[in-house]
Amino acid sequence: MLMIRAIIRPEKVGVVLSDLLESGFPAVTKMDVMGRGRQRGIQYGDVFYDEIPKEMLLMVIKDEDKNDVLDIIMRNARTGEHGAFGDGKIFITPVEEVYTVSSGNNQL
Amino acid sequence: MKEVMAVIRMDMINQTKEALLQKSFAALNCRKVLGRGKKKVNFTVVDDTNSPKVQETLTEEHRLIPKRLLCIVINDSDVKTVVDTIITVNSKGKPGDGKIFVVPIFDCVRVSNGETGGSAV
Repeated sequence: MLMIRAIIRPEKVGVVLSDLLESGFPAVTKMDVMGRGRQRGIQYGDVFYDEIPKEMLLMVIKDEDKNDVLDIIMRNARTGEHGAFGDGKIFITPVEEVYTVSSGNNQL
Repeated sequence: MKEVMAVIRMDMINQTKEALLQKSFAALNCRKVLGRGKKKVNFTVVDDTNSPKVQETLTEEHRLIPKRLLCIVINDSDVKTVVDTIITVNSKGKPGDGKIFVVPIFDCVRVSNGETGGSAV
């Protein structure tokens, strides 16, 4: 099992979530985060924004679904044809065990 | 070292914290998140006398529900105790009680004195 943490633009969350749902990955956790990336924040006129608001999507999936999920997130979270600075990052980490609280079942 | 990440109901956080404290796991990190699970949410618990407009918004499928995300970093030997405690406290036998993920952590550093490894957890 893998945990996917995707940091994406807040305005792209809707399309990503609905495409994930249609593709059979309903289970997602979403949280508001603030951060900066390689671009080191944004200079907009006289104002410098060090931390930019983003949304983090957290989901745990089976190993074989990795490419599908990555494709869905990247296809929908991109700005324009070739993407732009600030479209986000995806981090993938291993998950060793999963439990469902209601039943104590240890299957995903 | 392992990180136990548990998504639980909003109103269960106090009982869970209390139960973990009694097993002497005081250190935890939790935040409010929104999420949805595999199953569609059953909103039939809502009273029928509500206005149709309210009913309509509530019965929307796969809506994001407010939850608490609990993150606890612990040593390998404590994983079973923590997972069992969270399951015992939170389990009402209904969908939506939550999920627990156990993720490996490779190292841990105490900021105040730079101590690393298992004793720094």
